[in-house]
Amino acid sequence: MSEVNKTQGIDAAFSQGNLRWFRLNALPMTRLLFAILLAAASARGAEPAVFSLKTMTAQMKYDTAEMLVQPGQPVKITFENGDDLPHNLVFCLPGTDTAAMAMKQMEKPEDALKRNWLPDDPRIWAHSKMLNPHEKEVLSFSAPEKAGSYPYVCTFPGHALTMRGVLKVAPVGDTLHDLQFALYLGNWQQLPDFSKLKPHREGKIDDNLLQVKLDDYKNEFGVVFTGKLIAPKKGSYRFYLSSDDGSRILIDGKEILAYDGIHPSGDIKEAGLTLEKGEHVFRLEYFQGGGQIELYAAWKGADTQITPLSTWLHPKWQGGTKKQKEFDPIPLVVKDEAVIYRNFIQGAGNRGIGVGYPGGVNIAWSAESMNLALIWRGAFMDASRHWNSRGGGHEKPLGYDVLMPTGEVTPAFLVTDKPEAEWPKWDKAKRYEGFHWLGYSLDAKRSPTFRYAWQGAEIEESFAVEGNGNKPDGNSKLIRTIKVAGKVPANAWYRIGSGSFESKDGSFFSKGPIPFRITVSDAQLAGQNLVIPAKRGTMTITYQWAQ
Amino acid sequence: MKRILFLSLLCSPLFAADPVEADFYKITTYATPKETALEVGSIDLMPDGKLALGTRRGEIWVVSGAGSSDTSNVSYKLFASGLHEVLGIAYNPKDKNLYATTRYEITRLIDTDHDGRADVFENVNDSWGVSGDYHEYAIGSRFDKAGDLWVTLCLTGSFSSAVPFRGWALRIKPDGTMVPTCSGIRSPGGIGFDADGEVYYCDNQGPWHGACTLQHLVPGTFQGHPGGNVWYDLAPNMGPRPIDPIPEAFQGDKGRKDKREGGDPDRMVTERERIKQLLPPAVYLVHGKIGNSASAIICDLSAGKFGPFSKQLFVADQSHSNLSRVYLETVNGIKQGVVIPFRSGFASGIIGGRMDEEGRVFVGGSDRGWGARGGKPFCFEKCEWTGKTPFEVHEMHAKPDGFEVTFTQPVDTAAAGDVKSYSMREFTYAYREQYGGDEVSEILPKITAATVAADGKSVRLTISPLTKGHIHELHLDGVRSAEKLPLLHKVGYYTLNEIPAK
Repeated sequence: MSEVNKTQGIDAAFSQGNLRWFRLNALPMTRLLFAILLAAASARGAEPAVFSLKTMTAQMKYDTAEMLVQPGQPVKITFENGDDLPHNLVFCLPGTDTAAMAMKQMEKPEDALKRNWLPDDPRIWAHSKMLNPHEKEVLSFSAPEKAGSYPYVCTFPGHALTMRGVLKVAPVGDTLHDLQFALYLGNWQQLPDFSKLKPHREGKIDDNLLQVKLDDYKNEFGVVFTGKLIAPKKGSYRFYLSSDDGSRILIDGKEILAYDGIHPSGDIKEAGLTLEKGEHVFRLEYFQGGGQIELYAAWKGADTQITPLSTWLHPKWQGGTKKQKEFDPIPLVVKDEAVIYRNFIQGAGNRGIGVGYPGGVNIAWSAESMNLALIWRGAFMDASRHWNSRGGGHEKPLGYDVLMPTGEVTPAFLVTDKPEAEWPKWDKAKRYEGFHWLGYSLDAKRSPTFRYAWQGAEIEESFAVEGNGNKPDGNSKLIRTIKVAGKVPANAWYRIGSGSFESKDGSFFSKGPIPFRITVSDAQLAGQNLVIPAKRGTMTITYQWAQ
Repeated sequence: MKRILFLSLLCSPLFAADPVEADFYKITTYATPKETALEVGSIDLMPDGKLALGTRRGEIWVVSGAGSSDTSNVSYKLFASGLHEVLGIAYNPKDKNLYATTRYEITRLIDTDHDGRADVFENVNDSWGVSGDYHEYAIGSRFDKAGDLWVTLCLTGSFSSAVPFRGWALRIKPDGTMVPTCSGIRSPGGIGFDADGEVYYCDNQGPWHGACTLQHLVPGTFQGHPGGNVWYDLAPNMGPRPIDPIPEAFQGDKGRKDKREGGDPDRMVTERERIKQLLPPAVYLVHGKIGNSASAIICDLSAGKFGPFSKQLFVADQSHSNLSRVYLETVNGIKQGVVIPFRSGFASGIIGGRMDEEGRVFVGGSDRGWGARGGKPFCFEKCEWTGKTPFEVHEMHAKPDGFEVTFTQPVDTAAAGDVKSYSMREFTYAYREQYGGDEVSEILPKITAATVAADGKSVRLTISPLTKGHIHELHLDGVRSAEKLPLLHKVGYYTLNEIPAK
């Protein structure tokens, strides 16, 4: 990079040093959207792809959900077990049902134990040892020659459902051909009609990568890039664009993607379209008002990785892996008292109250819907999203087997003649009329009793945990006690579940993706709703993960 | 070595130590509990010299012994946790409970079993909306003289209001009812009271704000950002919705000839004539000079224990990690005044602050999400007067033809009576929708007279012209005290909303 030493002008704004600076300082507010090999050069030269993959503490997850490599590329993975349980890393052929494969071992547990829980299965083509807590192993292999998604999984009993990821094998796509630029000078707030302007300078770009190092202009200029794009076959293709300031992409004279106006390069715009096999006219228009200069473009075909068309890579395009987290996790540890976390929790609306109970069972309650939103087991919450940077976004439960008994949470009470009809849906901007949030009190173990009012009724609800949610023995339970006092309107129903249920042995079994059962007196199935006629008194509802 | 020492001894009288801020105001940094990042967001006083600290991580800590001169006497007790950002904490002497303003609710926290940990969390009021946008902060006050709590609500992002009352100041009465009180808020950073109990908040540079501001929350007023005005039909007590300010304004291009309806829209002054509810900022906290991210408002009610600035306001800045001093006066019924740098060098970005009766200023904050000069990720600190009186501008009063400037100590009459000891620059910010803005419409007035009062404690400056609505930046480089010392801070920025008739 001979440009690195130039400290002024467009060149410097895009030197490697500057790009690194941008990475460090960019506020990592949004989830990573893309995985792309870091440097086009190394991808094309098939240098080894190097990854480090770790198991996360008490979360039943790898820290890496996706690794991206080229066919036949040498791969080196440093696998580290950061958890307190044993874990391995097992690579399978595309299409393998890894959970079923891991589960099948339980038919002959003695044999499985002898094999240290590595299934005897021909679909496994690479694997680590079963690592004890805090052990490390380096795996080296060549990526499969055949493109595809190769799942990886931990085959220790009970782990495979959540401890998994994908090794994506895909070749890099083609770059542009015959790339030309035309530089224009002017002060714009939006992309101008370049066809009406006279270029200040024109020329050829030898390496065929979009770049802004055409002159020593820092502000108030525009560039039109034109070149050829060769689609290897007829099919759908995706284009990605980001810039500071505005830009747009035209294919065969038609605008397919625009990010116009004065703005930083925070967002990545993308669009898909179908291309015929062969040559297409590519045109990218860009303008710079003032401040930072950035331009990133990429494309992807059905069989190829996201391939950069620009010299520079967007900070969100990380090198080859899709990490689970952008920040070091801050797990909220539950010891012998309940832990409360009021914040934006995914699935619990905007007034979520997370409660982690001793015993590895957790809930999220919504002070918007006045209802239980989520139940899960394992670890409680990771506060890193909210306790880093500006704290934006909704955070998922940290554990696993997340149940949403009534879907996106809405109030449990409804006055209706038809409980079997569809109940009101969640609306993020909505408050529910007639419901008043009163607050909660904590008992000696810091377990909350939530209180709210509805019409003339006052409702209290509390939760207790039995068994150990961290153990996959199916014995852990959440017991919910609801006390209704005051006046309950006529025709009022209380909904406990929604979705597909089967009534069996006095319980209701959910047939959703994570099987669970609800046990409650006087409940009835009404269409997709599991309901109780609402009345004064006490209801006890038991939630249990089905085995 | 010896020679250098000798030289420095010889030279030292020549460079006679110009006074520095630390000579007069001392900052003490407290060690904080290891188990948390004490990102202080709010501070209030409790009985027995205790403090309540609310944090961005949703904790409330009760601090004992912070008033002691020995920092090892400080101890912390976690009173509550798991709240959604505590950017307002208020101790209620009537029911002896703490009230926390959090993201979506004002919560009364009760310790029923007196074990030092809250066990009842009651919703006092949650009648504003939250859309899930990170920017929708809620900044709460202490109890005002009527026993009300105030909450200022950040817009959804910088421009708009997705759910009710984003961009408003609300009052919560002792019975828990809510009264919409002011519109026009953008991004509050702090809320506080003056010595008379009047309520102020700090807004931050952005759309409609060329700089951070200190604004007077007069019930019924529109504070300048129209983004939240869509909720007037939910606030019948506020009267009709104000007409919108004109979004576009020139930025320095004085050559533009086209006339716009409503006159020249860049000035707060002309828009005030059109929009009767619009109240101009009491003081512009000049961008980049006073700060970039205004936060806590602290009033000196210590009757001299914090030095000579009794009843003045101290405004904190998150980005500059400093405190600035504000002297306010009322002209034609409107608050206006001067801001003067006061003390820099706090360890992190200041967010919460409170002075106790003994004149100790407790501050704390964090640099998370917005960088801060202090350099530490979070801090809890104390600022105290050393007992030495700095030579400073004490007050600055607008006059029909200039300003009267008072000083903390008698001045050298010759220096202070010389017009060449002063210079002034007037400018304003375009009042417009676009984010931020430059100092525009610069005027360099003439200082025609500087007359020192008989007691040597004030000087009367005659200035031509004075410009209504402009910030009058006064430099006092040549002024010396009777002891020939320069001013500790040689600049003040006076926001001249109104020119007094006499």
